[in-house]
Amino acid sequence: MTRTITIDHLARVEGHGGIQVLLEGEEVRTVDFEIFEGIRLLEGLVRGRSAEDATGIVSRICAICSHGHSITSLHALENALGVEVTPQTRKLRDLAFQGANIESHALHFFVLALPDFLGHPGVVSLAGTNPDAVKLALRLKKLGNTIQEVIGGRAVHPVNYVIGGFGKVPAADELVGLKKLLSGGLDDCGAALEILSGIEVPSFVSEPIRCAALIPKDKAFFFGDTVQVSDGDWYKRLPVRQYRSLTNEYCVPHSHAKRSVYEGRSYLVGALARLTINGGTILGLARQAWERLHLDLPSTNIVMNNIAQVVEMTFSVERAMELVDELLDTGLVPEAPLPYSVRACQGAAATEVPRGILFYSYELDARGRVAAADVITPTAQNLTHAEDQMKAAVRQGARAGASDDVLRHRLEIVARAYDPCISCSVHVIRS
Amino acid sequence: MKPRIGIFGLSGCWGEQIVILNCEDQLLDLVGALDIVDFLGGSSVNDEEGPLDIAFVEGSVANGREEKTLRRIRERAGLLVACGSCACFGGVAAMDADHPRDEVIRMVYGENGPKAGWDIGTHRPLSDFVKVNFALPGCPIEKSEFVRAAASLLNGDLPQLPAFPVCLECKMSENDCLLISRGLPCAGPVTTAGCGARCPGYNVACIGCRGPVDESNVASIARILTQKGVSELDVRRKLRTFAAPAIDRNLQGEKA
Repeated sequence: MTRTITIDHLARVEGHGGIQVLLEGEEVRTVDFEIFEGIRLLEGLVRGRSAEDATGIVSRICAICSHGHSITSLHALENALGVEVTPQTRKLRDLAFQGANIESHALHFFVLALPDFLGHPGVVSLAGTNPDAVKLALRLKKLGNTIQEVIGGRAVHPVNYVIGGFGKVPAADELVGLKKLLSGGLDDCGAALEILSGIEVPSFVSEPIRCAALIPKDKAFFFGDTVQVSDGDWYKRLPVRQYRSLTNEYCVPHSHAKRSVYEGRSYLVGALARLTINGGTILGLARQAWERLHLDLPSTNIVMNNIAQVVEMTFSVERAMELVDELLDTGLVPEAPLPYSVRACQGAAATEVPRGILFYSYELDARGRVAAADVITPTAQNLTHAEDQMKAAVRQGARAGASDDVLRHRLEIVARAYDPCISCSVHVIRS
Repeated sequence: MKPRIGIFGLSGCWGEQIVILNCEDQLLDLVGALDIVDFLGGSSVNDEEGPLDIAFVEGSVANGREEKTLRRIRERAGLLVACGSCACFGGVAAMDADHPRDEVIRMVYGENGPKAGWDIGTHRPLSDFVKVNFALPGCPIEKSEFVRAAASLLNGDLPQLPAFPVCLECKMSENDCLLISRGLPCAGPVTTAGCGARCPGYNVACIGCRGPVDESNVASIARILTQKGVSELDVRRKLRTFAAPAIDRNLQGEKA
């Protein structure tokens, strides 16, 4: 006898999606992570626009990752145009990435995921019983936003990022202001650790996880030119410019978002994948968080991605502090954006945004207009992996006799563990 | 009784909901003063049927499912507020560039997509479908404007928004004019103020994200930009980025 478990409209995720599972006894026939966000075709709409206009348009793919989209778009355009930015620009962009990571992880962990762990329907009811946790989350979120505002001019859809640098380099006293906020942020990360070290992370699924992450070229944890795919002891590396052989996008009928598999198997991108592949370099308070929150890597519990986010949020506060100190030591120079001349060219770039690897490539024509643009978001890469993990969660739950209501709730927890950004995934729709 | 509030997102980047959540200093007060009964982005338990005093809706309407959702929200809501430039004007996805839509879809999804059954339409503003009581423009909306607007609405007033262009705010900030002194293609003269002329403050030309200001003369700024050496095609594309349908009407108005 077959039956279906349906979640019409997934709550507490960014965007519009649902889940449909077809079961026969304890066997899972199919799991469809349905994406019905409206198609926006931004990659197509950017075609014909001048290179300088492109970034302000693709930023609109996603609000919460708008700094990541903007800077990755610039990296790809600069790669195409042969612009090599200054060390100061690179550090300021790195700092913006730390801000984005703090904001995004604080929002997802405390506002969207933690209610599940503590039996609340949402953050408003969580604020009733755990006001300290919510206040602390809001402070950390604000810290991440303030960093993004200082560097990018606005928290959502930054305005200050241009090809070759910045419209205006932030002033030293703004960075001194950030330093004070960051030291408060470190206290908050410590307090968060106290609150979280007692919580129990849901553990109902055990399934090996294939991971993919960029290998950092230097101390910029979220920037790199090489992707590593790891599966137990097996791993493979490939240069970012060959990203299409990793992402292999294809379309499925139930989703407006394109899908990815690598050599026949789905893979995970995001905090858990990054720490699995690159976590060895993480020290300080973030390392303490790692140990106290029992993050054993490699993990077979996808829900641990939430904990990896807490560790990374702490890392980003520490790394931001380091960057601010270095920038203040060297002294900020009001550099003008580097000049470039337009020509027919192409380029690609990737960065690690909060939810995983973000790929961009552009082809420009002789007049400097976009001839082709390709954007592959982390959520689009994660969708097939999410379906595979949901399948495992339902199969393992059904065999242990879990009711359909319990299975439905577990499906939601697995979906939210990916911190899916559905608006992003369809961005482009490549959906 | 606290006012019953709904917060909804149609097709877009979630920017307005993120800006609302970014009001970190006011959020707990807002949550205390309001009864947020329907907010799928923030809660898994929602009252999806009951009446609403105010519905905040972000995003454009891109398919039949969204049109149905919007009409249902309208039936339930005393006041419906369009939040952000997608809801007010259609937003970036309404540009439609200069290529036929089918071609753009093929470009993005390849020859094998889109699959049968996809509900694909053009992106349209809320006011094409339902009565909008108040429109809060911006890509994204400004935090301060949202908080002020919410406070006005809760006190029974319709909020006041600037009826003057970004240009005026830019002058008040004593910025050097990017258009006149540097020849940059700035949309500030025809764009609704309220952002504090943020972009020009960073030496970046206004890209018109808040849509055309009342009584603006888009054709005139288009002529000025062409005189500065930007091609007609590029000028048209730049000015249509965030509010293509409204810009097109404005341009046609001049011709008529």
